[in-house]
Amino acid sequence: MPFDIDIYKRVVNAKMYIDDNLHEPIGLEQVSEKACFSPFHFHRLFTCIYRKTPHEYLTQVRIEAAKQMLRKGNDSVTHVCASVGFESLGSFSTLFKKKNGVSPQEYRVQQQERQKAVTEQPLKFIPHCLASHFGAE
Amino acid sequence: MVTRLSHTSFYVLDQEKAYDFYVNKLGFKVHTDAKMDNGFRWLTVTAPDQPELEIVLMPTTENPMMDEDVRQAFKTLLEKGQMGGGVLHTPDCMATYEELKAKGVVFKSEPKEQFYGIECIVSDGCGNWFSMTQPKEM
Repeated sequence: MPFDIDIYKRVVNAKMYIDDNLHEPIGLEQVSEKACFSPFHFHRLFTCIYRKTPHEYLTQVRIEAAKQMLRKGNDSVTHVCASVGFESLGSFSTLFKKKNGVSPQEYRVQQQERQKAVTEQPLKFIPHCLASHFGAE
Repeated sequence: MVTRLSHTSFYVLDQEKAYDFYVNKLGFKVHTDAKMDNGFRWLTVTAPDQPELEIVLMPTTENPMMDEDVRQAFKTLLEKGQMGGGVLHTPDCMATYEELKAKGVVFKSEPKEQFYGIECIVSDGCGNWFSMTQPKEM
């Protein structure tokens, strides 16, 4: 193993701290403190283990959390943006579109329309070879 | 000409528990969760870096695709945790092991260096075990 088990535990705990607190303002100093490393040392270790910087990881989990909120609820995009820890609606929307190819609002419409179709017409989403065995016409 | 695998099935003892393991613990994404009127649930998930391969979390409930003997045989294998699901890729076995252990996931073996990388054996809690491997860097 490249690092001691204790180092892994500390970095993993910090990563899980990011997961649990992504909606709060989180800085490198704060997260590295959780792992009891200097910010420089923590940044190096985290990047080596997860193949992305702590900031890149935080951005990724925030975007994923936003996608989940957009799929499941009807909160405004502004509310979603703030709920997942982004401070600027403009930078959130730009980043969201860059990562997903569509704006947050377009993503919500696409996903909710698909979910509606899955609920109302499930047989359009289940392979016929299988659905027919389970009694579909 | 066959060019790709698009779906594969893991039989599971309990779809809700499987959902919890694959989605909430491993971080897989739900692709389709469709329920037929008769209760059959078509639940597929995808790994974060492999959205094109749908994994069907298939219940072992009574169904016309397998007779009762076959169904019982599947169920018995799953209850004994004997179904080997495959190899899960991780960029860092030790970190993923520590995180999943903290989330209550059960392992059959701890990470160990092998000639092909670092590997541990993880259970999905629904009857399947997997090698979780960090491939050796060339």
